[in-house]
Amino acid sequence: MSIERIDPELCNGCGICVNSCPVDVIRTDKEYKKAIIRYPEDCMCCNYCELDCPTQAIYVSPAKGAPLMVAW
Amino acid sequence: MASEITIETDVLVVGGGIAGCFAAIKAKDKGLDVVIVDKAYVAKSGGTAAAGAGYMMFNPDWGHDLHACMNAIARNGEYLNDHEWTEVIMRDSLATYEDLVSWGVRFPAANGKVGDQYQPLDMRDSSGMRSLFGQVFIRRGNFHVLRKQVVKSGVKVMARIMVADFLRRNGEVVGAIGFSIDNNDLYVFKAKATIVSTGVNSFKPAGAGISCLTGDGDAMAYRAGAEVTGKEFPSKFTTIAAYPQWRSYAGFVAYPRFTDAEGESIGLRNIDNVGFWDLAMDNVIHTGRGPVVWNLEAATQEDIEAIRKAVQLSEGSDVMLTRTGVVKPGAKIQLAGGAGAGSSDSMTGGIWPVNTNCATSVPGLYAAGECCATRYLGSVHTARGFGLTASAVTGARAGRAAAEYALCVRKSTMDEEELLRLKKTVCLPIERKGGFTPGWVTQVLQNTMLPYFILHIKHEKRLQAALTTVEFLRDHLVPKLTAKDSHELRLAHETRNMVLNAEMILRASLFRTESRGQHYREDYPRREDPVWLAWVKLKEEQGEMKASRVPIPKKWWPDLKKQYEERYPQRFLNEQA
Repeated sequence: MSIERIDPELCNGCGICVNSCPVDVIRTDKEYKKAIIRYPEDCMCCNYCELDCPTQAIYVSPAKGAPLMVAW
Repeated sequence: MASEITIETDVLVVGGGIAGCFAAIKAKDKGLDVVIVDKAYVAKSGGTAAAGAGYMMFNPDWGHDLHACMNAIARNGEYLNDHEWTEVIMRDSLATYEDLVSWGVRFPAANGKVGDQYQPLDMRDSSGMRSLFGQVFIRRGNFHVLRKQVVKSGVKVMARIMVADFLRRNGEVVGAIGFSIDNNDLYVFKAKATIVSTGVNSFKPAGAGISCLTGDGDAMAYRAGAEVTGKEFPSKFTTIAAYPQWRSYAGFVAYPRFTDAEGESIGLRNIDNVGFWDLAMDNVIHTGRGPVVWNLEAATQEDIEAIRKAVQLSEGSDVMLTRTGVVKPGAKIQLAGGAGAGSSDSMTGGIWPVNTNCATSVPGLYAAGECCATRYLGSVHTARGFGLTASAVTGARAGRAAAEYALCVRKSTMDEEELLRLKKTVCLPIERKGGFTPGWVTQVLQNTMLPYFILHIKHEKRLQAALTTVEFLRDHLVPKLTAKDSHELRLAHETRNMVLNAEMILRASLFRTESRGQHYREDYPRREDPVWLAWVKLKEEQGEMKASRVPIPKKWWPDLKKQYEERYPQRFLNEQA
């Protein structure tokens, strides 16, 4: 789970990241017309969204921490 | 499921990386209907996404010598490579390169300028392997060009559809069943020939861009009756602990200074086979001298420049290097192993091809890319950067062969009973009210399989223990997986496939009672010639996974009259009996 945030202040809603994501992490919020992180568990850390974002609104965390495991 | 959509085609390609794209284009060239389907996005997902990497080439006109190449690969791969495949990939590599250039792919040259001319890279490689081939780089943007060519050639491209299983009729593959991740629709593909090119298995590890490579192809093919091989040779891929997406070994190769916790040099420069670096690092951890550190204390600005130059063509690494600023003179960078954990070494593990046209043992099913276990490098991945080339070559071959096969088939007919059974299996997690989430089962699997003492430094007792857990996952948790939506359904099927791949890895590892290449058994620390000059094949027999030994042709054996140390210059830990 590598994508950390999309800054709504910087996001211009262009949708480039939605298309550049090979999977289904990012979608456009219909109401606010901004990119939102919809399925973060899908992120495969390719960094495409961050590389392609024209306003540098996306931050993909370089660290990929493993969540703590629970018994069930 | 929302609705059911049936798609009929001549050739179905499952998996849209470089292999799948080549396969689709080449099959289309024969004038057939071709559909390419990917659970993510064609030409952008999986290994291809991370493949801002080398594209190796072999060309006698550039002074490359086939004999020298073959000898080096056989020796470095510890005599486990299939020489026919090695030669095929070398010989075809120029044609696939020319295809890429003709479609508009531009290769950045060594000086960083973009051009389509071949230019060898000045890269230090202790194994000397790179001097035997040429290497160019493909960058990310070029995969869009590949996709454009797929579309232009008239192939029907479908994204975000996960194929869950192949459909069979009388032992022949006649299509596939899957579902849309976006809108819940069930898809039935009827195809005269099917190509599987879904990449390697991994357990969603920390490394770059491979969290969606869950061995779907190997698992589906196995369930459809195909033979699988090479699962005992894991990719160990060492990376930077804090930035596991670091994609480039080239950086390490450019400045190979590593120390243990005591500050002692690990002395990897003396190991002339890069494939053994990871094992040397594993040994440091195993003997309680970790962590391993990439030691830049004595590095000059020039050395940093050399590292930058080495990784600049791999975009992800470039970003990591500039943005994080960790790679600088004086730095001590902690490393971590297993960034590609669970995956097999380049095309050593996967579906067994019965010929050099990528046919599998199941009629109607062809394998390409990492799914096609060509074993062209043997048991050690020494020639890093050959994966793209071999994927392109096997893709092109599978595409042509599958098209020929499809031309001989009149019509694909379904086995309605089998179709009904598979439909139920596909939808089951979404229909279950209670059970286990895929995320949790994946986590259990990771905790079982990822520690270095399971996949990297193996022992019968530990492998057996892991297998007991994996069998429990297989029998008790996987049948009770749940999914709240079609999106999680994808994760459920990925989990199911990863569990099956884990079983394959463990059974193959237990079966090979020796050490060789990337397969190190603490309890059998030596290579055993000639008994293990053999490949391990896995196949389902009456519901059980059976392993068998396939001897390597004698003509490819090393000279057994030579001393052991001469045949195998690399020593395993505690090898001296």
